[in-house]
Order: sequence, then structure tokens, then C-alpha cells
Amino acid sequence: MNQQDSIWLGEIGRNIVRKVMWPSLYITIALVIWVTIGDMIFDLGVELRSPLNPSQNIHVMLTLIAGLISLFSASIYFSDFQGTIEIKPTGFIDVFSLIWSRVTMFGVAAIVVVMFYEVISRYLFDAPTLWANELSLWIAGFVFLLSGLYTMQQRSHIRIYIIYDMFPIWLQKASDIFTVILLWIFTISVFWGSYGEALDKFERMETFGTAWDPPLPATLKTGILIIIFMVAVQALSNLIADWHKVPEVHTPMDDIDQTEIDHIRESIKD
Amino acid sequence: MVDISTLSILLLLGMFLLLAIGMPLGFASATLAVGVLVLKFGPNVLYGNVVGGFEMMIDGELAAGVDTAFAKFGRGPLGVISQAVYRQMTNYILISVPLFIFMAAILERSGIAKDMYSSINVWLSRTRGGIAIVTSIMAVVMAAMSGIIGGEVVLLGLIALPQMLRLGYNQNLAIGTICASGSLGTMIPPSIVLIFYGLITETSIKALFTAAFLPGFILASSFILYIIIRTRLRPEDAPLPEPVEGDPEVGEKRILFLTFLTILVTGFFTLMLGRALFLTVIGSNTITEDVAPISWGMVADLPMLFGMTIAGLGLLWFVFKKHRVLQAWDMGKGLVAPIIVIGVVLGSIYGGITGITEAAGMGVVAVFLLSVLRGEMTFNVVWDSLMRTMKSTGTIIWVTIGAASLAAAYTLVGGPTYIANLIVGQNLPTMGIILAMMFVFLIMGMFMDWVGIVLLIMPVFLPIVLRLPVAELGFWGHIEPKYVGIWFGVVFCMNMQVSFLSPPFGPAAFYLKSVAPAHISLTDIFKGFMPFIALQLFSLAILLTWPNLVTVFL
Repeated sequence: MNQQDSIWLGEIGRNIVRKVMWPSLYITIALVIWVTIGDMIFDLGVELRSPLNPSQNIHVMLTLIAGLISLFSASIYFSDFQGTIEIKPTGFIDVFSLIWSRVTMFGVAAIVVVMFYEVISRYLFDAPTLWANELSLWIAGFVFLLSGLYTMQQRSHIRIYIIYDMFPIWLQKASDIFTVILLWIFTISVFWGSYGEALDKFERMETFGTAWDPPLPATLKTGILIIIFMVAVQALSNLIADWHKVPEVHTPMDDIDQTEIDHIRESIKD
Repeated sequence: MVDISTLSILLLLGMFLLLAIGMPLGFASATLAVGVLVLKFGPNVLYGNVVGGFEMMIDGELAAGVDTAFAKFGRGPLGVISQAVYRQMTNYILISVPLFIFMAAILERSGIAKDMYSSINVWLSRTRGGIAIVTSIMAVVMAAMSGIIGGEVVLLGLIALPQMLRLGYNQNLAIGTICASGSLGTMIPPSIVLIFYGLITETSIKALFTAAFLPGFILASSFILYIIIRTRLRPEDAPLPEPVEGDPEVGEKRILFLTFLTILVTGFFTLMLGRALFLTVIGSNTITEDVAPISWGMVADLPMLFGMTIAGLGLLWFVFKKHRVLQAWDMGKGLVAPIIVIGVVLGSIYGGITGITEAAGMGVVAVFLLSVLRGEMTFNVVWDSLMRTMKSTGTIIWVTIGAASLAAAYTLVGGPTYIANLIVGQNLPTMGIILAMMFVFLIMGMFMDWVGIVLLIMPVFLPIVLRLPVAELGFWGHIEPKYVGIWFGVVFCMNMQVSFLSPPFGPAAFYLKSVAPAHISLTDIFKGFMPFIALQLFSLAILLTWPNLVTVFL
């Protein structure tokens, strides 16, 4: 993977990010071990809700900061590589979306880990956690929203091309513009209808009302608005970036991606 | 402002227009949700207090704030949209969707499928039509591991198609078998189509999975039966391969198969014994009031488990003998990995151990660990799979977001009730309405993805079905009212089976085309589908005639 050309960081930038990524990851791991084991032995005062109020506990706060640094540096680092199934980014908005897509990819892996932890502790050790369900819900909410941003950047939202392909070019372009305008109307409408509620919830940091009680409504309600806005920006960026592209005829064969087939072919080889 | 019938017609026209100009499905629905609200409330949609006194059909938080602070920016009827989105985003079951996709993506990259093929093939290599039957069985097993099609058709096309063509199998038979069986993923639990049906209609997904099992099984059996009958009638369609040197005789093979089954059963009991011992050691299986005993995990179960394990080991050692055990294990070991995955996923769901979301998560872990054990796991495999997961999740979830907004807005203005009243009030024959719906599904299935159909059509169709007189559903036997929603979900799933194969856009055809030899054209492929589409329609007919088919295991 290291041989691949840099998309936007450049060799120097990539090196710098790598030098942040690895140490912060090691520090995070060390701190997590310290907080879990250290709390048992030295009683660091870590409680169920400490990760939600990190300012109360210095150990937890440091762990969270290190964790965030390693998450985002890794996301930035991996946004510099073009995946085999991805199209090439064309501008800073694309890069921005790609960074968030990497965050969500780690998010999916995180959900699996959280769930595994919960199932093991509940069914094997009969000690269910109070936080695993809410944490997976919380991560998943943002994964779902941000996945749409990624899909928009990759131009792979479900569209029906049968009639569109019959249009002359000017009509296709007009349709594209109209589509983006409608998407912006939608975005503005959502803001109009929910801005007050979201702001209100965010200011109160409304929580989920469960034992662990994460501020899920506050963050997710706000997140919905922000991410819909980001998607609309990405759509506008796509419109500009694709303006001079030669119109292509779409067939259902487009949905099949050759890389996937190559991978499968590889896997069944003797 | 605009009355509901005009609004419904405008909505339909708007949907056609937006889809025609190539607007992504999710965003088209979301925009139309805004359109519906604007048409209903007029300019008041921005400020209005019009909603005061109006029954908000979106439950929970919104209803509380309705009367008070409505006359300013940042509130108002348009808030319905983000409410609907929020509800979907905090839906625990929806998490299973990316997890199942992730699991399927890792599974595709492992050699598990190929080993399974060799293992099933060993047992059936001397049977006429053997490879076609093996393909169907393998498809069912893969369908039970995950619920994603596409990859499945590609895998079968790469593994089984070259073999069948080399042996001189009838090309149509080979193609039809691969694609029809490869599409079973949505019919056999866990199925992502049923998950979405359950989400949008608020039906129990576990019940849907249970209900779909028998119809899915009938469909798969009808494929296999068709292959057997056809190859018996026309042996030239499926020539037998040359016997391989050292391949055991048929009689010996049966004994070997019994040996293999015994190994599996013994292994299972050994595992359960280990679990029960573990639970006893850590003491979490003490008998407590009001807590249901852990099945096969209590101290009282230990003698039974111990006995079964000993009996199995004794049978293997003294009756089947060591050399046979080793040979049987060697022939069947490719089946062990799939059985473990199915055991983890379906076992968790049906064993009542975990919910569907955790089952999907455990499936990912199981496939990941198996892949590590097989030495196929690399960082790139995980990373590529995650990338594919995000892409598919984004497309599916954002259709959900759009459709949920539209459904919420349309429900708010009373659309589904209006349409249900309109249709039910006509006194049309009940089965006539159902058949008309089937027709709509089949036609739409030709052009649209299943996810669009379930999310956009179901909120309108299901209320109608639920209002139809239950006694007139089906021609044989009466289904209980509480099962009608489940029955219709399975019926819908069966329709989607047809849509995967139906020309001109049946996705299975294109997946196969991408891996088939160049001389096989799309027309050839669709031609090969015909008998299998007939079988699917036949199964659909059974399901419509006898609705209680779905309640057998409920």
C-alpha cells in the first residue's frame, strides 16, 4: 500500500501524518490499558459516565484526546490512498468527504468490536455492559449519515438512467442543475423546520435518558443538519467537477465492479 | 390547501419526473417530502400555526412542541422530515445492514466458498446433474450465511459454471441454476430485504425470518427437484464426469457421509459440554427464580452432554474406525467453516441468544476469525471490505432517509389512509387487489432496485392489505389477522426473487455476464432463466393460495 502515489498530502505531508498516527495510536492503547487496569488497582475514579464528562477525570480526558488524534490522523493518512473501487478525488471538498469516509470505516469496525465485547461479557460472563448498545447506536447514527456523503462523492447513489440517457446533452445538463437546486431546496427546508429544535437540544445537551445517558439526541440532531448540508455542498462540487465530462451511456453492467470480481477470482484460486 | 387526491396524483407525477431526470432516488423522495408539506400547508409551512389541533402522526417528541413555538424560523411542519430521519438513524436494527454487508464482503475474499464447493462436490460427484445440485445446495448454504446477492452469483459463476460447461452440461440449465440459486440470499434468513420490510412496516423481523424459511426451502427444493427430473429425462443435459481414481464406491461413500455427520454431532456436543462446564466453573448457571434456565447449560444437563460426547466418540472409534474418520474428515472439512458461520448467525437469532444486530456483529467476528485461521486475512482485505461496506451502506441508507421523510410527510397529510379507503371502498375482489399488487411489484421489479420498492411502495400497499377482509385472503385455509403483515412480507420477498431474474434488468444476469465466457450473451442468460422464473412464480402461487404456509413455524 505504501508504494501508491499520494493523492493530496504529498510525500512530506504523508510522513508527518504517519509520525503523528503511530505514536498517538500506541499512546491511546497504553492509556486505555492504564485506565482499565489502573482503575482496578489504584482507583483512578473512573466511572461509567466519565467518558462523557472527560473534564472530571484527567486520565479519561487524556485517553479521549489521544484516541481522537489517532482516529483523525489515521483518517487523514488513509484518505491519501485511493481505494481500488474508488474514483479519484478532484478538489478539496472531495478530500474533505474522503477523510470523513475513513472515519466512518473505522466506525463500522468499532461497532463490531463494541458488539463483540458486549456479547462476550453478557453471555459468557453474565455481566452485561450498560453502555455498549448506546455506543453502537451513537456511532452508527453518524456512520449512516456520513456514508451518504461518501456515496455522493463517489457518485454511486441509486439513480435510474433509462430516460436520462436518451436526453440530449443540454437537457442532461439542465437536469443535473435542476437536481442540485432541488437538493438545496430540501436542505434549506430541513434547516427551516429543524434548526430551532436542533439548536435547542444542542444547547441543553439533551441526553438519551438511559443509564449511560450519552448526549445522543443533541449530537445526532445537529449532525443530521450539518451532514445534509455537507452532502448538498458535495453535490454542488460534483456538478462543477463533472461539467465537462463526456456524457456516458449507463448500462446495468456499470453496477458491477471489476475489482470485486478480480478479488473473488483471486480468492478461489488454488 | 390542496386536497389529498390531487396531492397524491401530483406526488406520483413528481416522482416519475424526478426519477426520469436522473435524480438519485433518496433525494428525489426527500424533495418530494418537502413538496407534500408545501402543498398541504401552503405558505403556512414556513410560519404557520396550522398544525395546532392537528393530530401529529409522528409519535413522541414533536407532538409536545406543536402548539407553542411554531411561528418562527427553525420550527414548523418541516421539522417532520428531520424527525423521520432521526428515527431511522437511531434504529438499532438498521445497524445490522452495514454489518451483514461487511460480513459478506469479507466472506467473498476468503476461500471458504471454494472449499465448501469441493466438499459438497465430493459427495455428489457420481450423481447425475451432480454439479447443478451442488450449486443449488451451496447457494442455500451461502444464503444462510449472509443475505446479500450479487457476490454470490459471481462466486458460483466463477466456481461452478466452468465445471459445468467443461463437462458438457446444457448451457441454459447451468446458467439458470447458478442465477436462480444465487438469488436465494434474500429469501433464506438472514435476508436484508426482510430486514427492510420489517423496519418500514414495524413487523417483527425474527418472525419474518421464521416465516420465510419454509417458502424459501420450497423454492430451493423446487430448483433441485427440477434439476433432478430434467437430468433424468434428458441425461445428455448433464453428462457424468469420469470416475476419479481412488474415489470411494457409492456404498462406502454413504458410510463415510454418516461418519462425517457423526463427527459434526460429536463436535457439537463437545462444544456444548465445554460451555456448560465453563458456566459451572464461573457459576453463572445457578438456578434462579424468574430467570429462564440456560438451555443445555445447567448443571443438570452435564451428564446428558457428557454421555452424548462419549457415545459419539465411541461410535467414531469402534464402529466407523480411525481410517474412515480421517478420510471422512478430509472429504467434508470444507463444510465446517460455513456451518460455524451459520451456527453463529442463525443460532444467535433463533436460539434467542441475541438480536439480529448482534447476530450480524458476531457473524463478522466469526468470518474474520475463520479467515485469520485460514491465513487469508490481511489489512487490505479488511480495508477493502470496509470501503465496499460504506459504499453500499450509503446508497441503501440514503434511500431509507429519503423514503422515511416522504412516508412521514405523506402519512402526516393522511395519504395512506386515503388510498386504503379508496381501494377498499371499491368492493373489488380481495384476491384481485392482491394480484394487482403482485403485478405492480413484478413490473416495478424490472426497473427498480428492491430497496426503492420496499421503502416507497410498502407504506402505501401494506395498509390496504391490512384492511382487506382476512377471510378472503388465499383460497385454502384462513390466516390469522396478526400474521397478515408477515405473510405479505414473505410474498413481497418472493416477488423480488423474480425481479432478480426478470428481463430486461435482472441484476443476476448482469452479474453472471461479467464472469461468463464471452460467447454467452445476455439473451442466452435470460433464456436460461425461463424455467426458473416459472418455478418462482409457481412458488409465489402456492404462497398466495395457501397463506398459512408462513405460519407453520411461527
